Amino acid sequence: MKAAHLRRLIRQNLRRNRKNFVFSSIGIVAGISSFVFFVALGSGIKRVVSTEIFPLEANRIQVVPPAAQFDAWVPGRALDDEALGRLAKIPGVTAVYPRMKLSVPATMALIGSQFPPQDLARLAGLPGMTPAMVEGVKKLQVWMEIMADGIDPRLVKGDALFGDFADPPFGRPIPVLLSKRLVEIYNSSFAKVRALPPISEVLIPYVPSLPLTLNDSYIDRDMSGTRIPVRIKVVGTSHQALLGGVTMPLDTVRRINRQFGGEAAARVYDMAILEVPSSDKLSGVQQAIRGLGFDIDTSQKRMAESVGFAVTLVTLGFTLLSLAMVAVAAVNIAHTFFMIIYERKREIGLMRALGASRRDIRGLILGEAGLVGALGGLAGIALGAAACAVVNLLAVRFLPDFPFKPHQFFGYPAWLFVSGVVLSVAFCLAGAFSPAGRAARLDPASTLSGR
Amino acid sequence: MIHLTGISRQYGRGAQATHALRSVSLEVPTGVLVKIVGTSGSGKTTLLNIIGGLDTDYAGTAVVAGRNLKDMGDRELSRFRNQTVGFVFQHFHLLEHLDALQNVALAAFFAEGDIRRAPERAEEVLVRVGLKDKLRRFPGQLSGGQKQRVAIARALFNRPRLILADEPTGNLDTRTGGQVIALFQSLNQEDGLTVVAVTHEEQLFRRADKSIRLEDGRVVEMNPT
Repeated sequence: MKAAHLRRLIRQNLRRNRKNFVFSSIGIVAGISSFVFFVALGSGIKRVVSTEIFPLEANRIQVVPPAAQFDAWVPGRALDDEALGRLAKIPGVTAVYPRMKLSVPATMALIGSQFPPQDLARLAGLPGMTPAMVEGVKKLQVWMEIMADGIDPRLVKGDALFGDFADPPFGRPIPVLLSKRLVEIYNSSFAKVRALPPISEVLIPYVPSLPLTLNDSYIDRDMSGTRIPVRIKVVGTSHQALLGGVTMPLDTVRRINRQFGGEAAARVYDMAILEVPSSDKLSGVQQAIRGLGFDIDTSQKRMAESVGFAVTLVTLGFTLLSLAMVAVAAVNIAHTFFMIIYERKREIGLMRALGASRRDIRGLILGEAGLVGALGGLAGIALGAAACAVVNLLAVRFLPDFPFKPHQFFGYPAWLFVSGVVLSVAFCLAGAFSPAGRAARLDPASTLSGR
Repeated sequence: MIHLTGISRQYGRGAQATHALRSVSLEVPTGVLVKIVGTSGSGKTTLLNIIGGLDTDYAGTAVVAGRNLKDMGDRELSRFRNQTVGFVFQHFHLLEHLDALQNVALAAFFAEGDIRRAPERAEEVLVRVGLKDKLRRFPGQLSGGQKQRVAIARALFNRPRLILADEPTGNLDTRTGGQVIALFQSLNQEDGLTVVAVTHEEQLFRRADKSIRLEDGRVVEMNPT
C-alpha cells in the first residue's frame, strides 16, 4: 500500500473509533503529562542550583596552592606573580585572574541611629520601602567581624553597576561587591524577619558608605598595631564575591596587606582563576596546572554536582513512576486494539480480499497506534506544561520566600517535548504490536465467511 | 483463465479432519460465465476462495490468469487479488460508516493509482451498476439489492478480469436476485469479464456457459465438460 493511502486510511479509522481511542489514551496523556511535569521541575531546580546557588563556569579553573603544606617552603609552590606568569603560559589559557585575602581582621559596627538623617530620608523615599523598614534601619545595631578579599576587577566586569570597582584615592570609600548568594539569604530570611529593607538594585545606590575598622577584631581584643578606620561603599553584587564577607578591588587589598604585613603579604595570592576558551582544552590545562605543583579547587563544582545528582535521583524516581503509568496505559492500548480488531475482523478480511497484504494490515494497526500515541503525547505535553504553569503561579504567589526562590520553578529543555512524543508513540506501538500481528495473521477466507 | 488440478482442502487434522475439497480439477476459459452449484457444505465457497487467492492452504495446483497461486508470496497474492479478481459476497460486506461512493473507493487504498481519482472511478462503476442516484447513501439507507450492486461496483473498481461471486443472491428475494444475475450476465457479455458464481439455487444463472456441480468436495457434474 502506498504511504499516502495508508495515512488516509489511518486518519479515516481514527475518526471512526474516536471514542475508543480517546478513552484508551487517557492513561498515555496522564503519564506523559506527569513525565513532563517532573522532568521540567527537576530541570528548573537544577538550573537554580547551577546558576544561582553554585554557579558553574565551565570554562574557568580555580587554582590554589597545594593543600599539603609539608613542602610549602619549596620555591615555586607559592601563588605569586611569577607563578601567575607560568600559569598564563600554559597553552589554552587566555586569562589569569588572581584573588588575595585581606590578611588583617576587620570589624564593622552598623548603628542605625548614627546614619545621617538625609540618608535615612532618601531611603524612606525609595519605591517598596515601608515606614517599618525605615524604623528597622534606624534601630539597627550590628557588630560584625568582616572577612574580605581582593579580586581582579576584570573578573567582575559588569557586576559593579553603581560605582567604579578600583582602588580608590586616599580618603574615599573602598568599593565592595557583595555575594549574590549572601544577598539572597539576607533578603529571603534575615531582612524579612527583622523588617529590614531587601538589598536590591534599587536600594544599593542609596546605601550610605559604611564604617570598617581594619586591624580590629571582636574576638581578639588584644590585637597589636594601629586600628585604621575606613569606609566601604557597596557598588554591586556578584557571583564571584566572597560568600561570607565583602570583595574589594585586588589593588586595595594588596595595598592594605602591604601596610600591615609588609611586601611579602602583598605578593602572594590565595587563588588564581584561569580562563580557558573551550571546555575541550580543560583537561590538558588541568594536567599542566598539576604539573606546576598547584591544586585545583573543585569544591564548588563537587557541591553543585552533589546537589544536581540528588535532584536528578528524585526526578528520575518520579520520571520512572510516570513511565510506569505510560506502560500501564500501553497495556490498555493493547486491550483496546484487541477489541477493535475483534470488532473489525470482517473489515480486515474485506481489506485482504480487496488487495491488502499482511504487511498493510500490520502497518495500518501500528499506524493507528502511532497516531494515537503522537496525539496522546502532544495532549500530555500540553497538559503537563499547563500543570507546570499553574503550579509555578501558585508557588510564586503563595509559597513563603526562601533563599534562591526562583520566579520560574520549571525548566523546559527542547528534548523534553521531543521525548514526550517519542515515548508516547513508542509505548503505543509496543502496546499495539501484538494486536497488529494478530490482525495481520487473520485468515481472510474464515473472517469473510463468518467462521 | 482458471486451471485447477487435483485441488484438495481439508480443515482440521487426523480423525477430526473435514475434507472440503477432494482432488478437484477443472478449467474455465476466459470470458465465460460459470456457475458452481451444490448443497451447503459441498465445498463451493472453499473452491472460490482458493481461486481468488484468499485460501492458500490447499494441495494441488491452481493457475489463475496465467499465475500459479502457490508460487506467489503474500504481497504478490495481495496484488493479484487487487488487480485481477473482484469479489462479491453473499453478505455484501459493506462498511456501515462509509457511503456507497466511499465503500466502492475502498479498493483504491490498496491499488497503485492516484487515490484522488478514486471518487471519479467509484462514481463511474456505481453508474454502471445502476446506482447513479445513490452515491451518497449509506448501507443502512439501501435495500438488499442496492447493497449488492454497491458490492458489485466495488468488485469492478480496479477493472478485474475475473469476478468471483459467492451466493450473490443468497440474501435477496427472487425478483431482486434476478436483477443481480442480469447484471452479472451483462458484465460477462458486454464487458467480457469471466464470472464464476457460486449458488445453491440451480434455477438462477440459467444462461451460464458452464455449470459445475459439487458434492461432498468432489466435482460430480460439469456441463459442458
